[in-house]
Amino acid sequence: MIPRGVCVRDLLRSGAEGGGFVPPSSGDFELPPIFGDNIYTTKPIALVFLSVILISAFFIISSRKAAVLPSKLQFAGESVYTFVRNDLAKDVIGHDFLRFVPYLFTLFTFILVNNLFGIIPLLQFPTMSRVSFPYILALTVYLVFHYVGIRKQGAIKYFKEIMFMPGVPKAAYILITPLEILTFFLVRPLTLSLRLFANMFAGHLLLLVFILGGEHLLQGVIGLKLISPFAFGIGIVLTFFEFMVQCLQAYIFTLLAALYIAGALADEH
Amino acid sequence: MSSREENAMWSIFGYLLSGLLFWGGIGYGLDKWLGTAYLTLIGLLVGISGAIYLVWLRFGRQ
Repeated sequence: MIPRGVCVRDLLRSGAEGGGFVPPSSGDFELPPIFGDNIYTTKPIALVFLSVILISAFFIISSRKAAVLPSKLQFAGESVYTFVRNDLAKDVIGHDFLRFVPYLFTLFTFILVNNLFGIIPLLQFPTMSRVSFPYILALTVYLVFHYVGIRKQGAIKYFKEIMFMPGVPKAAYILITPLEILTFFLVRPLTLSLRLFANMFAGHLLLLVFILGGEHLLQGVIGLKLISPFAFGIGIVLTFFEFMVQCLQAYIFTLLAALYIAGALADEH
Repeated sequence: MSSREENAMWSIFGYLLSGLLFWGGIGYGLDKWLGTAYLTLIGLLVGISGAIYLVWLRFGRQ
């Protein structure tokens, strides 16, 4: 589906003919453009578009012939929606949760599908292992929760609540107010995006190590060939492990987005 | 893990991180400026105690 470009890895390998194993590195994440040298036609970008098409197609088809007695497809679509609506939006945000469901639902499905691309055969690249995508997603969360807080409580009250917690001796504000500001305005969006990025990056790297390592062992002497299946075996186990991590990270990202919105809506933290 | 615990966990992590970054950063800056060597350590300690105090205020007071 997606043409596999000439990887940096292939170049390195042909350059070092008969040489040692080239361990996977961050260079493996910098994929060359698919068409010409336009930097906007790289594999991650193609995957993002593919994910949008897949998600839209899935939910349009699953809800088109909505019936009281749902088909299997409709059931699948509805259970994802129900999960986000009840377990993420309703439980966390409480009343007034309904207007955030579309946003949270988009976040969850978008991140989930893009993460799962990491283990889908032929695609095999988690889009979120390129840090710009999580940055932009975290930026939208950042804008949404501050906007919601300012709209709900008014700018002055909202910032006052963040900076000056009631019931604290005045002198202590010198110590803790900078920390509150830093946490709310810098650390939160940064940890939100870096957690997703680092998990996807490390997971992909781990799979590369074991699977490419297994392949390399296969080209070695007979003793190494015998070890190779173990490397592939661990690669397969890690693939299932990655599946778990990918689902979990999509969940945590959406959950924290919902928690931040809930925090901004609450009158006192 | 419930969402409340998840929230507490990541908030605590965030506070500890900002505590170290902010007061540690001030200590580091003062060290560079005054040519001393111990203010970074003091800054880090002040930061971590401030962060723990804040965590207690947020989650330990009920």
